[in-house]
Amino acid sequence: MSHFSSVQIPKAETVAIQLTAPNQVKLSGTITQKDPSNDLAGFFKALHTAALADKLTEVRADVSGLTFVNSSAIRLFVDWATWVKNERGQRYTLRFVTSRNVTWQKTSFMALMSLAKEVLAIEQVS
Amino acid sequence: MESADTPPESKKHPTPYPLVFMRFRPAWAYIDGIREFGRFFCQTTFGTQELADRACVVIQETLENAVKYSSNSADSELELSILSDGQSIEFSVSSLPDASHLSSLRQELNGLQTLDPEQAYLAAFIRASNEPDASARLGLARIRYEGGVELAMKEESGGRIRITATGKL
Repeated sequence: MSHFSSVQIPKAETVAIQLTAPNQVKLSGTITQKDPSNDLAGFFKALHTAALADKLTEVRADVSGLTFVNSSAIRLFVDWATWVKNERGQRYTLRFVTSRNVTWQKTSFMALMSLAKEVLAIEQVS
Repeated sequence: MESADTPPESKKHPTPYPLVFMRFRPAWAYIDGIREFGRFFCQTTFGTQELADRACVVIQETLENAVKYSSNSADSELELSILSDGQSIEFSVSSLPDASHLSSLRQELNGLQTLDPEQAYLAAFIRASNEPDASARLGLARIRYEGGVELAMKEESGGRIRITATGKL
């Protein structure tokens, strides 16, 4: 089993998390806790570390089912993109699968793309 | 809390009183419910999903800031009102913050006004990326860009402040 597939999924009240492929994580629901990093920062970091250990060329983060998040949660995606961007050795493309029907995803991932376009890809689904 | 019985009426008359007025203790647990009420209210009253989505961002982020920085005193209730004159919409949040928060809020708002909303949001992303151990500070820039509103702060009597977010319907 790959490192990525073995990452422990945290329990979070309002967001459902699944590892749906050896390089894909899917999140759905909402993230509006006061400090979502308590549940999710360590998880995203573990996925990042596992992706490097597995020498993945791409990680897919399917957030199309995240209907609403607060800015503290958006910060977690900024951090993940920054980790990949700052990686000196082999690194992977972080592909966010977003919904074109969810407003916050259109605005925030466009901004994120401008921050780290060399390591990010945005895929829109209906 | 007040709302029009027939939603289209709200577009016909300038409204000198809030369409919505709520007062509540500054508790994080209330924010989700109030945001979703705001979504429902704007969708039902103004009939656009786009405005409902913008309302969610404005309400979530303004209330988060107000709750985070509210003083612990007994008179620290928050007030949220939503007003419209048929052309624009205004979200207004009154709170009693810790005095220590005021200067950083003033500074943050002043900094935002120097950039257009999209540039300010991008700048906030860059700052967050460059300062991984600092707090996110994306919220106000997000309100302006994603909420499609301009922000203003007014200091009121008794140490209260009022954050007003005004945008087109």
